[in-house]
Amino acid sequence: MNRSDFEFRVRQALNDAVERLDYRTTFRLEKARQAALARQRRHSPATVRLPALQFASAGAGPGRPVSGRLAWMRRAGLVMPVLAIVLGLALIAKWQDDAEVENLAALDFAVLMDEAPLDTYADRSFGVLLQRELQSRPR
Amino acid sequence: MATRDELSQFLAGVEKRAFKQAVYAVRDEASALDILQDAMIKLAENYGDRPAAEFPLLFTRILQNVIHDYFRRQKVRNTWTTLFSSLTPTDDPEADPLDTLEALPGTEKAESAEDKFRREQVVSIIEEEVSRLPARQREAFLLRYWEDLDVAETAEVMGCSEGSVKTHCSRATNTLAKALQARGITL
Repeated sequence: MNRSDFEFRVRQALNDAVERLDYRTTFRLEKARQAALARQRRHSPATVRLPALQFASAGAGPGRPVSGRLAWMRRAGLVMPVLAIVLGLALIAKWQDDAEVENLAALDFAVLMDEAPLDTYADRSFGVLLQRELQSRPR
Repeated sequence: MATRDELSQFLAGVEKRAFKQAVYAVRDEASALDILQDAMIKLAENYGDRPAAEFPLLFTRILQNVIHDYFRRQKVRNTWTTLFSSLTPTDDPEADPLDTLEALPGTEKAESAEDKFRREQVVSIIEEEVSRLPARQREAFLLRYWEDLDVAETAEVMGCSEGSVKTHCSRATNTLAKALQARGITL
């Protein structure tokens, strides 16, 4: 008898032993299998990324189809805050420009009316300001 | 990704052999059942979403690890048991864990034919001798010749080199052949 014959016979004997398992053992094996299956790891679904800006009350969850009107509202919900921010920035810029013009006008008026104190003329930054004003005026 | 049915089918196909492997290793049916359940749950919990084709190797590895863990725990427990048992007399000093295995074939009482009885005796002696093999030899022998893993896969599961697997298998075969011959069994 060669080596592989021996291994084959042992293998057959072990298979026989497996076939002879009693009912109690096979029952417990089945129970163990059921317990394992109940705890099977499930494939976790891919993360769905949503825009940060949306109405909480939009009512449409991830992956759910949205009706026409609701879709319009959701889009409006994203666009409106952006528009508000742009409008706000434009208003602030305009207000700053107006305030600067008013300051210059008040200064010009004070100079013309000789109300500006003498120190103003000696102030270096006042000279720079006047130079800038002259340069910026159309000739 | 494997479905519940695929995992169930896989476990149903391997559970009996895996149970026997655990019995050969720990020589106790109740512990073997616990080990098997532990291995099944670990496979389902940690790798239940893997493709079904990966299950056989994963499960074999998990089962071997759980068996090794069992022996590690036993070692710690035995240390304490030995420490305390030296102070108290044991109930049965002649107790042999192999007695449990010897009782296994006797559970099937329906079979009475002489040749069947003899075959069963041979099977139980083979089982007994397989379980008496040194752990690493038994592991390599069963994985290679019973579970049909190739040398590389066996080495991966056992965490050793392919050369070691061949050595373990060769030694296991020689030891087993000699032991069976000594008990008057020629295969």
